[in-house]
Amino acid sequence: MAAINHPLGHARRVPLPGRPAQVNWWVLAAVFVLGLGAMLPVLQNSTATSRGFDAQRLQLDQARVNGEIRELESEVASLTSLDRIQHRAEEIGLGPGDPPVFVNVGEPGPAPAKIPSEYLPGPVPTTEEPDPWWRSLLSWVSLGN
Amino acid sequence: MAQARAHGTRRVWVPATAFAVFALAVLLRLIQLQILDHPRYARAAHEELTASDVIYARRGAILDRNGNALATSVDTWDFYVNARTWKDPAKAERSAQALAAALHVDAARLRATVAASTAIDVLVARDVEYETGKELIDSGAVDGLNPVPSSIRVNPERDTAASILGFIGRDKTGLAGIEAAYNEVLQGKPGRAVYERDTAGDPIPFGRRVTSNPLPGKDVVLTIDRYLQRMAEQRLEEAVRQHRAKGGAIIMMDPSTGEIYALATQPGLKYSTLDLSDAKQIELLRNRAVTDLYEPGSVMKVITAAAAIDAGAVTPDTTYVDTGTAYIYGIALQNWDFNTYGLQDMRGVLRNSINTGAIFMMQQLERIQPGGFQRYLDAFGFGKPTGVDLQGEASGIIRRPTHPGWSPVDLATQAFGQSISVTPLQMAAAVAAAINGGNLVRPPFVRQIVGPGGSVQDVKPEIVGRAISAQASATMRDMMHAVMDPGHFPPKDYTAGGKSGTANVPIPNGYDDRQVASFVEFAPLDNPRLLVFVKLDENADLLTGTAAAAPIASRIMDDALHYLNVPADAGKSAVTR
Repeated sequence: MAAINHPLGHARRVPLPGRPAQVNWWVLAAVFVLGLGAMLPVLQNSTATSRGFDAQRLQLDQARVNGEIRELESEVASLTSLDRIQHRAEEIGLGPGDPPVFVNVGEPGPAPAKIPSEYLPGPVPTTEEPDPWWRSLLSWVSLGN
Repeated sequence: MAQARAHGTRRVWVPATAFAVFALAVLLRLIQLQILDHPRYARAAHEELTASDVIYARRGAILDRNGNALATSVDTWDFYVNARTWKDPAKAERSAQALAAALHVDAARLRATVAASTAIDVLVARDVEYETGKELIDSGAVDGLNPVPSSIRVNPERDTAASILGFIGRDKTGLAGIEAAYNEVLQGKPGRAVYERDTAGDPIPFGRRVTSNPLPGKDVVLTIDRYLQRMAEQRLEEAVRQHRAKGGAIIMMDPSTGEIYALATQPGLKYSTLDLSDAKQIELLRNRAVTDLYEPGSVMKVITAAAAIDAGAVTPDTTYVDTGTAYIYGIALQNWDFNTYGLQDMRGVLRNSINTGAIFMMQQLERIQPGGFQRYLDAFGFGKPTGVDLQGEASGIIRRPTHPGWSPVDLATQAFGQSISVTPLQMAAAVAAAINGGNLVRPPFVRQIVGPGGSVQDVKPEIVGRAISAQASATMRDMMHAVMDPGHFPPKDYTAGGKSGTANVPIPNGYDDRQVASFVEFAPLDNPRLLVFVKLDENADLLTGTAAAAPIASRIMDDALHYLNVPADAGKSAVTR
């Protein structure tokens, strides 16, 4: 019994039979690639669904905004209708105006304002053609009078 | 020991044959189902699984010449519910209550409608206001709800220009007026969305896809001015009431371009009282200024004079002696007032509206150009549609020598506006040609077409022919100005030209006492900016065109030219300083 209560102390390690397990990296790589391949459609599907959801949400947003724009346009058109303008004018005490008075002015209108000279185009330079050489020769010999 | 080969017996062959026949039958049935009838069953399966919606394109707006909306579209919802989903009483009750509360309808009636329908998707509400529908959709309170985007047409100016604009049907197709004439432009191209359904018939989430996007319609800008149109409609209503007329028409037109500023008719279409279930209202759908014919009476003398002057047959100073009666092939044709005017020049013929004078002008023309008068009628556009942008335009009727029963008397009566039928628009366009320099212009209703991206397509005025020379046209302006003495109620602020017409209504073999009173007027004299045509049908007070229609035309002329910022003519109301 004492032997049973005695601690093992430095118990000898019993070696396991056979060779220690070695990791086969090729197998692991193959499993990883297969796993990735299996996950890919799931990821693609998930991404497509997510984008489809976003697209639909944006389409709905666009439709909503367009609808609101058209409602606002319609509201503006109603508020600027002739009936509404007339009604509002009557509310604030306006009525039909007197016939307009047209004035024919018997005098000529004011002369157009003069443009400052610095803004006017300058004189066009006149390019005089040089005398031909024989004319200067004639003047040199005093034949040409 | 060799085994003996078993011989077939009836006990073997009969079941074998039966099995073979059964197998063959199964095979044939499979061939039928999977090969021969495959398309049909595939289609049925597809229809069972999928459904589609039409996505209506935004219909373009109709605007007046200044860009004010006369007709525009607002988004709405059409609500369908899935009848299969509503077979569950609890769901149906809950959904019907929610739907009824939002739409302010009776829940029991909704349930009864869905229960009575044989369709899978049952329409329960049409044209639900956009915001209301959106809240209902977002709440998710209605099971089996299938909202379909839709739109309704809104007319901010209410009944103004209704007889020009027309209206659209439930399928968003134009049925009358500009809505019908420009339906292809306004409508755009509808799109389509397809969605998959589950076994209960409900749309599968994210199973909806747009197979074709809708292309929005284009906006149409009219030549109509909403202010002038409203003025024309109000004045016509007043005139019809005042003169106890059966109806009438008022046209305001730019005589140079033919652009129509306003066109009012009575009776006419009104959105506020439109009821298509009433057969009598179907008549209101046509625009009478374009579709209905009348004999123009003395307004036609303008055309007769223009033709004779252009041909050189007469001048304004040509004189003749009116004896009160002209005899054509033994038939006596008298003046409208049975009066005798004696020596008259051609201005006097127009001013006094002398029938015999019109016959004289026509005869002088025929003397130098046989058949020339009716050629001029053709040149002024009578007898054929003007080409206006409205459907159902009438051509008019001119009695010609080739027609049965033709007589030279017809030619004589055509000179003062009988034996010829025209539309009010034809008459206005012809007078415009007489005073605008001689050009017959197609009266357009549309100025521009504006695309969704802002692209603008201008519709240019179209000169369809030359009726008379510019010189003859200037002479006509002076002659028509001579008509506008104080007795013709000229405009206060503008020098104008005009001509009245009073014609009895033709009946088979003659005329009765009913009459059509009309007046056509233009101003300013030197550079006409506006032509006003007023017609009153069967006015019970029997006032003439001068007495009944001229004051209306002149009042409109003053007010409309003020509105168009045309300065008053010197010597009228304008003050000279």
